[in-house]
Amino acid sequence: MNKTDTIVIGAGLSGLMTANLLAQANQNVLLVAKGVGTPVLASGAMDVLGFQPVDSRRPLENPLAALDDFLAEHPNHPYRLAGAEAIRRGLAALQRITAACELPYIGGPEKNLHLPTALGAVHPAALAPRSLAQGDVRRGGRMLLVGFDELRDFYPALAAENLNAQKLGVRAKSVTLPLPAPVDGKMNITPIELARTFEQRAFRRRLARVLNPHLKGFSRIGFPAVLGLHHHPAVLADLESELGKTVFEISALPPSVPGRRLFEALRDALLRAGGRLILGGEISGGEITAGRVTSLHLETANRPKLLSARHVVLATGGLFGGGLQSDAAGRVWEPIFGLPVAAPAERRAWFSAQFLAPHGQPIAGAGVRVDARLRPIDGEGRPLARNLYVVGEQLAGYSWTAGRTGGGVSLATAIAAVDAIINR
Amino acid sequence: MNRLSTEILVIGGGVTGCGLLFDLAQRGFKPMLVERGAPANATSGRFHGLLHSGARYAAKDAATARECIAENMILRKIMPHCIEDTGGLFIATPLDPSDYADQFYAACQTAGIPVAEISPAEALRREPLLTPDIVRAFTVPDGSVEAWEACRTLLESARAYGAQTMLYHEVTGLRLEKGRVAGAAARNRITGAAVTIEADMVVNAAGAWSGKIAAWAGCDVTVYAGKGTMVAMNYRIVNTVINRCAPPADGDILVPVGTVAVIGTTSVRVANPDDYPIEPWEIERMLVRGAEVIPSFKKFRALRAWAGVRPLYQEKQAGPDLRKVTRNHALLDHAALDGVENFVTITGGKWTTYRLMAEQTADIVCRKLNTHRPGQTARTALVPEKKRKYHTLGARQEKVETGQASGQLVCECELVTRSQIEARLAENRRSIINDLRRDLRLGMGPCQGGFCTWRAAGILHQSPTFSAAQANKSLVDFLQERWKGMTPVLWGAHLRQMLLDQGIYAGLLGLDKLPPELSGADSPRLAEIETEGYFLVKNEE
Repeated sequence: MNKTDTIVIGAGLSGLMTANLLAQANQNVLLVAKGVGTPVLASGAMDVLGFQPVDSRRPLENPLAALDDFLAEHPNHPYRLAGAEAIRRGLAALQRITAACELPYIGGPEKNLHLPTALGAVHPAALAPRSLAQGDVRRGGRMLLVGFDELRDFYPALAAENLNAQKLGVRAKSVTLPLPAPVDGKMNITPIELARTFEQRAFRRRLARVLNPHLKGFSRIGFPAVLGLHHHPAVLADLESELGKTVFEISALPPSVPGRRLFEALRDALLRAGGRLILGGEISGGEITAGRVTSLHLETANRPKLLSARHVVLATGGLFGGGLQSDAAGRVWEPIFGLPVAAPAERRAWFSAQFLAPHGQPIAGAGVRVDARLRPIDGEGRPLARNLYVVGEQLAGYSWTAGRTGGGVSLATAIAAVDAIINR
Repeated sequence: MNRLSTEILVIGGGVTGCGLLFDLAQRGFKPMLVERGAPANATSGRFHGLLHSGARYAAKDAATARECIAENMILRKIMPHCIEDTGGLFIATPLDPSDYADQFYAACQTAGIPVAEISPAEALRREPLLTPDIVRAFTVPDGSVEAWEACRTLLESARAYGAQTMLYHEVTGLRLEKGRVAGAAARNRITGAAVTIEADMVVNAAGAWSGKIAAWAGCDVTVYAGKGTMVAMNYRIVNTVINRCAPPADGDILVPVGTVAVIGTTSVRVANPDDYPIEPWEIERMLVRGAEVIPSFKKFRALRAWAGVRPLYQEKQAGPDLRKVTRNHALLDHAALDGVENFVTITGGKWTTYRLMAEQTADIVCRKLNTHRPGQTARTALVPEKKRKYHTLGARQEKVETGQASGQLVCECELVTRSQIEARLAENRRSIINDLRRDLRLGMGPCQGGFCTWRAAGILHQSPTFSAAQANKSLVDFLQERWKGMTPVLWGAHLRQMLLDQGIYAGLLGLDKLPPELSGADSPRLAEIETEGYFLVKNEE
């Protein structure tokens, strides 16, 4: 195992991107993760900066142009370490990798897409897969939103009324239909099950027949994000030709089909680039000796197996992803190395009085502080280990809901970590 | 100004007021109930849901124990659909005083409570998660009661006899005429409109607020607000009510309620019954006490904490220990006490004895009005015969499986189906999500509304009365209300759950980014006040 250049822990967006980029740079990479990462719970679009100031309700047009103002108000945000260039390169890297997996991501860092949410709000995102991007409300025109009785997570009438009330230049109408064919006779179907059903050509034909009488006068047809899982590009293209209209998707509640597609694309790209992957493997601990990570403990059926590599990237996430843990006494800790965690000292300071706090919940900003090379630091700012890097949600200083920077942080810090590892 | 008149005005829509309204209506009066929120909005809906067998009080207060067991048996007959027959266990651990158990057993027998000792092994067989260190165990007929359903049933039954209900109306003063109470002034909390209600008799059943009401008539009623904090755990840890076989103390009762288990309570005197924040030590105390009975208690997730204020009546100055203040009820005829005619206060007491309190109050009302009309509520079943069976946890699942309910689950934690929600909306086209919670337990399970709140908002919006803005507002309010109860217990896995919910409502749905005029996020919370909820609309129609 000593031939491993880098072990990446965690299969979320930041971990998968770091591993992909290192593998593409001909490193011997091993990605170890307990399970699939948080992309499967997210929309599938990449948020870089959606709102500035963060309590504004007006979606930003150009995220990078607002970056300086944002950083002036959020001086500890990880964007400070990574920089605008890393954001650009991170987005470009994601576009390159996903395009090669037939899941092209559309957009760029200087123009947000304004995607409709399932509620009918506007979700500003720098990049989105084509199926989501085609819903951009600024394209205007008349759109028909289609829901299904059997899918309890998508209510197109509510989305349409909210969209119309905001006078965004788009006119939305809705129709909710029973599925043209039952899915395994089930009353409670998940988006994933429905996505698999959409992969059947016969199902799409029947749906198109039922839908055709409703389509007149609409330029775009929106569906919940269930248009195929493994064969999504073909499903989307086929549906567009069947209906003779532009077709788009809207992400609703988890599990997220676009998130699942992204996870699978990045996983497959990693394997194609020669990376290795252990999913379902928990790293339960690690040793730092003389300023270096010397080993990691991989839990197996009988005893922990020791892994080692020249570099280790911690992409295990924050309190949400599971890379940080907390208890009733108000402690927050990083369970693998016991890294120092910056968090509000007392539990009563963890939360805002508002559930939907514009600046995010204070506890959501808990994380590990790092130096310019993304290495965790001690109280004096010295790196705790020369070969350990932290990327993504585990970083201190930001709550992704404040301004909506989650995707951008994962991508930009992946770039910064790769730079630090390769340019050593 | 809107003027109304009634024979008897009942102030307070807790279970006592609801029970009294029904009792008076059944005796042929034309009573009216005025309540500032929804029924069982305060203390009557903010307890752990325990139907007392009386055993909790047997050793200390035989009279209360006797009342409890008698009422327990009556409620099982008249409102079985609101009761889950869980049974109760009293267990003594090595931490409990060793001489209490014998004293307890003898006291239960004296009070007429069916008590039986079982072996610790048998107790563990019934409830395997209990501590193996049990020293002694006793069975008693405790139960779990569905408070909102009970109050709803009482009000519906009262209306069937011609009673009127004024919900979401806050009493702002009493009308006094020549030393007698002649009615009350109230304000409609939805429209702000003032209302005057003339009445021949006014009954103050305002619980922890009854001192405030009495003061308007110049009567001194000392009622302490005794805060009790409860914590709901994410799992039905036990199927039986578990009590500590020890003198009453904090966190000595664990009640299975639906899919969760509720531990309670603390007992803290508070100055203001409208403002009683939950303190961190209260949560910690509940978890420590829970772990004394269930060793794995802290491995479960605390879902939510809430508190209610008991009305504790005290004739004389109370000492600091509220558990020594009487939990008996007090029925005060202010003519005799204060020289104020046509005014009666009923306060104190327990949920379990609401019917008895109502009956005794109605008896006094009859005496004061010089009429003889005996109460019949102990013999009157509140549901038709075919529905006369205990509520069970599996009932909803059974309905889904036998095709009596549409199987589409909107709330997966509490097994609330879409057809149930649609039926409620058909009955009352203005139910908001918080009404659905009270009616159906929507959003009360382990995920605390993460998924079902969104679905409920979507379904609400499909009913023609709801605009998108109203559905959004109902969603915003409900999430905020749940948030208040979650923050005291957010850490570990439950904190992750909350962060997922934030991801859903902010990240995926963008609820925080809708314009405020569309989401109502900046306007006052509708829930509990301007909801035009179920009962109000029924009343209007």
